[in-house]
Amino acid sequence: MGAITIQNLTKSYASTEVLKGIDLAINDGEFLILVGPSGCGKSTLMNCIAGLEEITSGHLLIANEDVTDLSPKDRDIAMVFQSYALYPTMSVARNISFGLEMRKYPKAQIEATVQEVATLLQIEHLLDRKPSQLSGGQRQRVAMGRALARDPRVFLFDEPLSNLDAKLRVEMRTEIKKLHKRLGTTIVYVTHDQVEAMTLADRIAVMKDGIVQQFGTPHEIYNDPANRFVADFMGSPAMNFIECVVFEGNLVVESAAKRYELAIPNAEALKASGLETVVLGIRPEMITEPKPSTDATYVSQMFLDVSVTEPTGPDTLAFGTWNGQDLQARLSPEKGRQAEIDSTIAIQVDTAKAVLFHPQTGARI
Amino acid sequence: MNSLQLKMGRALIYGLLITFALLYLGPLYVMLVTSLKDIEEIRGGNILALPEHLNFSAWSKAWSSACTGTDCEGLAPYFWNSVRIVIPAVLISTLIGAFNGYVLAQWQFKGSNMLFGALLFGCFIPFQVILLPMAKLLAILGLANTVTGLVAVHVVYGVTFTTLFFRNYYVAIPNELVRAARLDGAPFFTIFWRIFLPMSTPIIVVTVIWQFTQIWNDFLFGVVYSGPGTQPITVALNNLVNTSVGGKQYNVDMAAAIIAALPTLFVYFVAGKYFVRGLTAGAVKG
Repeated sequence: MGAITIQNLTKSYASTEVLKGIDLAINDGEFLILVGPSGCGKSTLMNCIAGLEEITSGHLLIANEDVTDLSPKDRDIAMVFQSYALYPTMSVARNISFGLEMRKYPKAQIEATVQEVATLLQIEHLLDRKPSQLSGGQRQRVAMGRALARDPRVFLFDEPLSNLDAKLRVEMRTEIKKLHKRLGTTIVYVTHDQVEAMTLADRIAVMKDGIVQQFGTPHEIYNDPANRFVADFMGSPAMNFIECVVFEGNLVVESAAKRYELAIPNAEALKASGLETVVLGIRPEMITEPKPSTDATYVSQMFLDVSVTEPTGPDTLAFGTWNGQDLQARLSPEKGRQAEIDSTIAIQVDTAKAVLFHPQTGARI
Repeated sequence: MNSLQLKMGRALIYGLLITFALLYLGPLYVMLVTSLKDIEEIRGGNILALPEHLNFSAWSKAWSSACTGTDCEGLAPYFWNSVRIVIPAVLISTLIGAFNGYVLAQWQFKGSNMLFGALLFGCFIPFQVILLPMAKLLAILGLANTVTGLVAVHVVYGVTFTTLFFRNYYVAIPNELVRAARLDGAPFFTIFWRIFLPMSTPIIVVTVIWQFTQIWNDFLFGVVYSGPGTQPITVALNNLVNTSVGGKQYNVDMAAAIIAALPTLFVYFVAGKYFVRGLTAGAVKG
């Protein structure tokens, strides 16, 4: 039904190449998220899928049908825009039915569809209002209703939640996920918010400079990042990157004026690379207060000088240094309070999930 | 600041406002009272005095029997000439301007900004420069001395302004609206008719007032491109004032001038509140 295949797609404006050969295969019914910093080409890619931008070279297939040269209306897709783009002079009902009218659906069917969509999104009481009389969240629902009414093969969401306040954003996020579960239609969703990407996606494509850096499940992206950019972009608080000297297959770390050697899981790969220094990537939740009875292979005990703490409620972020470079640890609230008093505390480091990057290129080792 | 200073400031502001209002309304008052006096009273009396009796004979004379050159049919036929010129010229130039603005703001193509710049340049071309070439062109097209010819001239001249108004109004509307409509399957013209025109009420009102005032008050094109039967009211008013049969008839002149000005006043009173609102309106929300 709604599988999308993107083959070596490029897009240039005059002399600047915005998309540099994108290859993606999106399964039918999959929730794909395009994520990346602004200017990475994710919105351009989405507009190319929609047909609102012409593709410079390459192919785009929807359900194994080449749609590269089809106009937007013939691709059977619907889109939800960041600014909602509701038609300001039309009532909510007309906004929802406009696409059906344009496609010359019979009147009775249009009315039934509007009613059905309105019920699904709980906006029945708003059908006679104009968009200017709605709140941000209500407009968002109408915009989604307009897309739903068409029952397309593919939904495109272009940063749909970025104009909502924080609380509403989380609510709508859950609702979109429920909606996808219920409808099972393919969704391509653009965001720059990595939390949205992690929570919603079946698979994520992380983009930078017009290139897909990594394409995988949220679990793969988080735990097995392809390079330093992906590791840095995904995850909040962000991963720690510490440049370390390699000594007999272990990494040397200086913390609280003492030297420690950390064992790492992929020592063979490190040896094969022949690098003398390497960038250690380790997530803050792997640096905690000492815990009893953990598998000891990759666990080290050490001390850390804490300069600042940031309590977030469930846990406290502690800022210190390793090898003179900034480090974040994730402590329990109790340990966090102790760190504020003592400044030097005992911690435990688990390197089982640590990853290594080339110090110059940022490539994964 | 104490309350006395506040009151003095208020008094000063109101004083100035009233002074200027009187300054503007004074001539209108003189015109009105003069048009209601008979000629003896004008000669003998004070220019500011109210008329002794209400006398509408000057008005009916100006409308239906005053002499404009050799014809003595009053302003009526010329009034209707003006109506026949103004209505199509305003409608056509507004519609074309709206369409141009829609394309220039929402469907940018290679060179569209250059084209807009060139169109803007049209706003700064003085009337006098195009008089002769336009006369030649109208003659070639067989439109010299016709109402159609005058309408065409006003449309061509007005389109630069109407395009500017609509383009600047539409450029503030996010392009996502067009994108959404395209995905909904609406073609180019449908998007214009069904989505953009309906949300243009403020700017349509501004454009209509502007164009109506410009075209109704136009004298130069009217005097150059019209023939004996197609002269607009401004030209007739000029002829009426300059034709004197047995001395100046100030009351008739004044009545004729007010008649010639009434339609623009009417349009402004009916739609005026939209005028300021439309000129200052920002993007359409929603």
